[in-house]
Amino acid sequence: MPVRLLSLPVEDLQYALECMNVGDLIAFSLCSKRTKHLAKSLNRKIDTPSVYVSENCIGIDILPDDCQELPDDEDLEDPDFQDFQDNENVSLELFDSSINIDRGNGVEEWRKPEFTQGDWIAHLLSIFNETMIYALEIDDISLPYLDTVKEFIPKCQKLRINSFCSDDVAKIAFHKLFPLIEEVEIEKNIFANEIDISQFLTPNLRSLSFIDFDNPFKLTADDLLAVKITKLSVEPANITEKELNRFVKLWMKGNNTFYSPKSIKLTLDYEFRRNRRKVFKGIQYEFVEEDDDFQFRMRRGDGKELMVHIEDNLIIFNFP
Amino acid sequence: MSSTEQGTSSAAPAEPTTAPESAAAPEVPESFYYVHGKDKVVHKVSAGALQHSALIHGMISNLGYTEEQAKANPFPFENIDGDILQMVVDWCNQHKGKPTPPEDTNLPKQKEKLFDLVLAVNYLEIKELLTYCCKQVAMMVKGKSPEEIREIWMIPTDAEDEAAEKEAKKRAGKEAAGETAAAAGDAK
Repeated sequence: MPVRLLSLPVEDLQYALECMNVGDLIAFSLCSKRTKHLAKSLNRKIDTPSVYVSENCIGIDILPDDCQELPDDEDLEDPDFQDFQDNENVSLELFDSSINIDRGNGVEEWRKPEFTQGDWIAHLLSIFNETMIYALEIDDISLPYLDTVKEFIPKCQKLRINSFCSDDVAKIAFHKLFPLIEEVEIEKNIFANEIDISQFLTPNLRSLSFIDFDNPFKLTADDLLAVKITKLSVEPANITEKELNRFVKLWMKGNNTFYSPKSIKLTLDYEFRRNRRKVFKGIQYEFVEEDDDFQFRMRRGDGKELMVHIEDNLIIFNFP
Repeated sequence: MSSTEQGTSSAAPAEPTTAPESAAAPEVPESFYYVHGKDKVVHKVSAGALQHSALIHGMISNLGYTEEQAKANPFPFENIDGDILQMVVDWCNQHKGKPTPPEDTNLPKQKEKLFDLVLAVNYLEIKELLTYCCKQVAMMVKGKSPEEIREIWMIPTDAEDEAAEKEAKKRAGKEAAGETAAAAGDAK
């Protein structure tokens, strides 16, 4: 008499499924609606899912949640650790109708003609009980495809625009997606052609990082005063010590109690190490030492404080 | 009824000793029980080996059999195939009084046998063996594609599941109608 897996007692079936690694569980979940529900019922945890989008292809890495903590040597003998070792990472490329999956033994193609890219993402989020994609990285994609991406990734926490993305798509992606996200990282200077950087500094984001070591980001004191982002990082920033001095002086004179940044971190060129005293020219400050950390403290009339940390060619303005 | 004797024969009771208290305690003779499956072949198993099975251990504790009574009344497990029960008995004997190893490579590789073993072990409540079996079940599909998994584990497609559900509803409806008709007949 043929015996079917799904006819095993519920607890045994559940235990057998719990012994499966993430890749096998994804395969099992794709067998039928019933197996999808069974996979989901295991409540298997994965590391926050991140996707990488290039034209017509979405890449996603699924990492078991327990990979976050590396075990010490004693754990190597532990049978539970052997299960942990078996839980290898899985890389997927999602297309309409098919996926390419790499479980460490070469790439396999699995077909599901009725599935769109959006369906694959929804399926993966559903079986691991994740409510949204954590991070979205955009490569060189077309504008129409950006709209498609926005449809099937309606919300995410972090947007990363990489250096291959065209300036136009990067700008539009930022403006279209920032209402849905909290953190943005732009790995390209898209402001070279007289585009005003200040409009990127005003959205209410939790964090914004600009990184392009080949093309420093030009900034002025007025740009820094317009910042509404909680945590801004610019690597490297093209701003003079004189302009930084003007920024600090204007901040000291100001009485805007709603200045929202908590920290502005600027990486400058190495000349800054010789000229950094110019930043505080004509400004009264205290030199504060706390836990081997040296900071310059400034207080303005309304009692607001500014702490400035300087290390090599790095300057961080902290607004406690 | 045929019989295969498993395990070691019971040791003779040790003589009472006058040795000081620090000496080893006298050896207690091992007691044996008897089980049979669907094929009626009786297996003699020590109480120590049977301790793996929470079900049998509970039965022994409740019945309080003497060895003679146990021999005359083997525990019947009519729902378990003889060869599967033999595997279970062998495993219990091999792991009698020993810490269970992290892996057990002696489990059957054939799908039907393994599934039957899971059902038997689940019924007999042998937790460690059940753990090994379930791991072995999971290993059957390691690295397989969804189509291969469907084939190996005989997973019905959505269409087959829907058809089965319709059929079950139809059958339930017919049974309910039959019961109603019978109740009406009784009332008349």
